[in-house]
Amino acid sequence: MQSYSIVLLFVAGMLFSGCAGLNRPVHPEQAAGVPSRVELEAVPFYPQKEYQCGPAALAMALRWSGLPISPEDLTDEVFTPSRKGSLQTAMISSARRHGRIAYVLTGLNDMVSEVAAGNPVIVLQNLGLSWYPVWHYAVVVGYDLSEKVVVLRSGIIYRKHMSFRVFDNTWARGNYWGLLILQPDQLPATAKEDLFLSAVLGLEKARQFRAAVDGYHTALTRWPKNLTAHIGIGNSYYALGELENAEKAFRKAICFHSNSGPAYNNLAHILLEQGRKQEALEAARKAVFFGGPLSSAYQKTLEEIEGFKRE
Amino acid sequence: MRGIRHIAKYVSCFVTLTMLLMSMPVQTVGAAMIGTETVMTLTKAQDVRKNLNELLNREDVKSIMIAQGISPIEAKARVDSLSDAEIMQLADKMDQLPSGGSDFGVVVGAVLIIFIVLLITDILGYTHVFSFVRHPSS
Repeated sequence: MQSYSIVLLFVAGMLFSGCAGLNRPVHPEQAAGVPSRVELEAVPFYPQKEYQCGPAALAMALRWSGLPISPEDLTDEVFTPSRKGSLQTAMISSARRHGRIAYVLTGLNDMVSEVAAGNPVIVLQNLGLSWYPVWHYAVVVGYDLSEKVVVLRSGIIYRKHMSFRVFDNTWARGNYWGLLILQPDQLPATAKEDLFLSAVLGLEKARQFRAAVDGYHTALTRWPKNLTAHIGIGNSYYALGELENAEKAFRKAICFHSNSGPAYNNLAHILLEQGRKQEALEAARKAVFFGGPLSSAYQKTLEEIEGFKRE
Repeated sequence: MRGIRHIAKYVSCFVTLTMLLMSMPVQTVGAAMIGTETVMTLTKAQDVRKNLNELLNREDVKSIMIAQGISPIEAKARVDSLSDAEIMQLADKMDQLPSGGSDFGVVVGAVLIIFIVLLITDILGYTHVFSFVRHPSS
């Protein structure tokens, strides 16, 4: 019983030091297979106006991703005057509204991997003190493993060098929050399935349906069986009014997941809208047959189709 | 006066009823397409359940549970009865665990397993180790 409580204390200690504590890799050479020195010199620079580091950083990343945009265009979407700054969520939703994947990463290893892959990383730093924070967005455009420095576009400085140690300290206070801005046909070098799908879903919710279709297809290149991606393609095509493409997508979903209620349910709706009532009925019946937590929705679909009068 | 009172009674009854109906969260399950986000949440919950079941099937995990006086079969049955919301709560806590400990290695592995087992049994109501778990009133 004694050793039991010691174990518990140990675990608790590990937990409450925070994942940031354990995830403190100030030796990013552990990021396997990266060149020892990278600098993305072509990343554009927008010197920030007062408090406008958010729009400046986001504009640099968006422009790098092929969008001709300036910080002034972004101020309304990103900057919160009452906070004299830009909220992280506002940065993310703004990127999505411009049809870009906004992918959050954490930690020096992943950051170095992404820069090595040619992707600049927006970072949130606290340049002040823990009890008197000075929050600041900057863009990491390079690193040097032997010199142990990070190169940033920061404030009004085109190439700001910061030692790993100082960078780590300032970035740690922001919980190592980093943001990648990518075109929907690009995968982050360190892409994780859940996080990438979430980012694409964000595009769909921001009604960027064309970009969402691209993003989901990109997800399928790495994770070909991902059901969310297949359904997402179908739903996005439906929102675009492209019923044939939507139908193809749901049928593909069924190929990979032959007992998927949502796939059959949504296929039934597509078929109904195309006036193919008999096929719609069959699809709806399959959905009801496979059931699951959403079975009442499938039942409603079936009832709607059954009651549908042909013109 | 009596007339007005008489009408007022019916009017107030009607108003009360309408307000009640309007305030009730009427969950109309419309005949509709299933949204992508719903599918994502559902799939995540299924994956978590699968991982959980695999964990509970491991010999080392089973022996720890038995040592704590917990029947693995009973534990599995109770996990199966957890709602999706509770499964996701569990997944959130598991996500917070330190991952990929290169330095700590073996130690972390063993401690991790014990932690996970305790977390599960807490949620199931066997134990009361963690304060962040909302304990089912047995």
